[in-house]
Amino acid sequence: MSRVILVVDDSPTMRGMVSHALNEAGFETKEAENGKDALIKLTTMEVGGTKPDVIVTDINMPEMDGIELVREIRKLSAFKHVPVLVLTTDNTDEKKEVGRAAGATGWLVKPFDSELILKVIRKVLP
Amino acid sequence: MNGDYSKFLQTFFEEVTEHLAVLESGLLILEQNPNDVEVLNRIFRSVHTIKGAGPMFGFTTMSRFAHEVETVLDPLRNRKFSATREIIDLLLESADCLKMLVEAAKNGTVIDESKTVRDLEARLETCMIIPAPAPGQKTTSGPSSTAPAAPPPVTSVRRTYQISWIPDEDLFQRGLNPLKLFEEIGRMGTIRSCVLATSRLPDFADLDPQRCYLSWTCTLETEYPCADIESVFEFAASPGGLTIASLPSSSSSAKPTQEADPQLAHSVIGEEDDPRLAEVFFGQRSDSLGVILVEQKAVTPAQLAKALDRQETLRAKSKDQKVETSMRVDTEKVDKLVNLVGELAITQSMLSALGARFEIEHLPILQERLLQLERNTREIQERVMGIRMLPIGTAFSRFPRLVRDLSAKMRKKIQLAISGEETELDKTVIEAIGDPLTHLVRNACDHALEPPEERVAAGKPEQGTIRLNSFHEGGKICITVEDDGRGLNRDKILAKAIKQGIITGNDTLPDDQVWALIFRPGFTTTEELTDVSGRGVGMDIVKRNVEELGGLVNIKTVTGRGTIFTLNLPLTLAIIEGMTIRVGQDKYIVPLLSILESIQPKADMVTTFIGKGEGVNIRGVFYPILRLYEVFNLQPQHKNPAEAILLILEAEGDRVVVMVDEILGQQQVVIKSIEENFRKVDGVAGATILGDGTVGLILDVRGLMKMARQEQSIAV
Repeated sequence: MSRVILVVDDSPTMRGMVSHALNEAGFETKEAENGKDALIKLTTMEVGGTKPDVIVTDINMPEMDGIELVREIRKLSAFKHVPVLVLTTDNTDEKKEVGRAAGATGWLVKPFDSELILKVIRKVLP
Repeated sequence: MNGDYSKFLQTFFEEVTEHLAVLESGLLILEQNPNDVEVLNRIFRSVHTIKGAGPMFGFTTMSRFAHEVETVLDPLRNRKFSATREIIDLLLESADCLKMLVEAAKNGTVIDESKTVRDLEARLETCMIIPAPAPGQKTTSGPSSTAPAAPPPVTSVRRTYQISWIPDEDLFQRGLNPLKLFEEIGRMGTIRSCVLATSRLPDFADLDPQRCYLSWTCTLETEYPCADIESVFEFAASPGGLTIASLPSSSSSAKPTQEADPQLAHSVIGEEDDPRLAEVFFGQRSDSLGVILVEQKAVTPAQLAKALDRQETLRAKSKDQKVETSMRVDTEKVDKLVNLVGELAITQSMLSALGARFEIEHLPILQERLLQLERNTREIQERVMGIRMLPIGTAFSRFPRLVRDLSAKMRKKIQLAISGEETELDKTVIEAIGDPLTHLVRNACDHALEPPEERVAAGKPEQGTIRLNSFHEGGKICITVEDDGRGLNRDKILAKAIKQGIITGNDTLPDDQVWALIFRPGFTTTEELTDVSGRGVGMDIVKRNVEELGGLVNIKTVTGRGTIFTLNLPLTLAIIEGMTIRVGQDKYIVPLLSILESIQPKADMVTTFIGKGEGVNIRGVFYPILRLYEVFNLQPQHKNPAEAILLILEAEGDRVVVMVDEILGQQQVVIKSIEENFRKVDGVAGATILGDGTVGLILDVRGLMKMARQEQSIAV
């Protein structure tokens, strides 16, 4: 059974490209448009008996941003242990500290290098 | 190194186009309300996305420029600054520049280091008091540069290390499993001892099972260098939480090092196969963006080649077709369509099964199946039409900016009110309507609206208003461009027309014919040319474009009060929903959307007005009756309105009642032009082929109305 990765980004281009890179590497992907959407998708996945193995999320999104999403995920008993990788253009120390404090597992920077993403994902896979 | 993303290029450009529109409209809202944080967030996100996605396709200039815009938007968004008029002007200019960069990227032209871009970048950087740091300026200081200086000795000698690890309490919540880490170091050598410290454990009552209170100290005998051990922990351990000390292999009495040696930690990271990993996991080397960028650059040539390839194909395509021919369709719409086609196939196979062994007692089943087929066909047709329908807002979206710029240029105060932007119409129509609308709006700004002093003198508000509206009416779509300016000047137009030899001084023309003169090619009343309008090209193009789409332009004007241009456009291009009616032996189609209601009147509802024809009183309102058999000179079944059926039709806000013999039913008809094949027939909009193969005429409600009016005036 292939591993499932939830890709959260408000830009369809970005979502498409990240998913594409992950699919090429044999991962199954699910997509969500923003934090809120991601939480809904997570709930449906839970009901359906599946769980993403890793979550990759953007920060800047409408409705609910990535930081808040991480915080919410860490509150959910079913998903609090799922590694969450942030994939964003933000690369300031302050922002990273906010991400880390919120409970993000890792911080990846856009424009992304698919090899690096894959390397990191393989590293955090439970 | 990166994958092939060229297939996402099209998506990228579509998305970016949307973001640019968001940016522009957002900035215009911001101008009215500089502290609208929601709008600021929205446009920030748009710019941010362009910045983030651009480099994936090698559009570095676009991304760098977006970054500059972003550095201005960020303090605005965080309310550190308020958006001044100057900043908004600059941002709008930047939005244009960004648009230009996107266009250039789309067409594959290189304008990388153009002057405009650099000028704007410089201005963006200086417009805020806090200078924005460029990403490239960050230098990798300390850690990474010292890393190679003190590499741990790579050795094949087995060494013993004491590893003390005090993880953060949120270790589990960050999705990390300490057991895996120990398994991993276990594979590197032999774990001589592993001691679990429980001193941090709170009282049982206070214990949160989701937190990590444990810490470990273990002794590892390994051939691997210290760096490799540290790399195992690099994303699990927080700075200071991990201590690795080398022990003399023979000694067991060595004390664990109390403090982590930061120098060592850095050098460790420097040894990692991919130094960027440390970056990912909140390591110390957060300054190494420059390093990453350099590495990104290493892949650029290959990426670029692919992107350029793709662009070349796109450009070749765009040369062939003037209008962009792709459109984004909601996947849901397509899925639904696929489903429907599936249903159609099922119906078809059911019908063939029935036809293979048909007996007359199967007739009801056949009828039922046919009904199903009809339903399928209709639904598919609606959906397919729906795919081509877009909200007209896309055509309106350019006007706020246009009006803003024109009002600044001409020092007039102009307010633009847009409504009905959600009205949907065919994509082709939307694309073709853009230019005529632009001409009308430009004209309104330039000619119709007076300068502020003149407006005040005339007792009008200083700010002029241009109103754009669109709505459905009787199977057509109406777009109105309305201004509260000076209105058309009859005498001036006539004088000009005589001067240009279009008419002679002897003609006495009714108003609407005078207004129609402005649609003549080369006609202008402006004395001096401005660079906005007044060159006599424009109105004739408006008329021609609209008529090419099968539409009409109407003018209503009141001197000193304003002008309304109404564009009547067909909603879809070829198919209308029609109601089949019968008069005598002949069948006609009435566009369903123009029928308000149909009634069978009582005798006392119909009144004949002496000299004004006859009318019918429907709920207190009198409508003129038009007997269709008289119009088309037919032999009707009923001549008494009380026995016939009256259809109340509406067009352009006017109503007329048409008398027919019978309503037969509703059906969709494909319009065939009579004018093209024969000649214009009054009261008839076109023809169609009915289900039984005969030709049915489609009534022109507007034409009928005109005829009703003429009849009244003749009767007078």
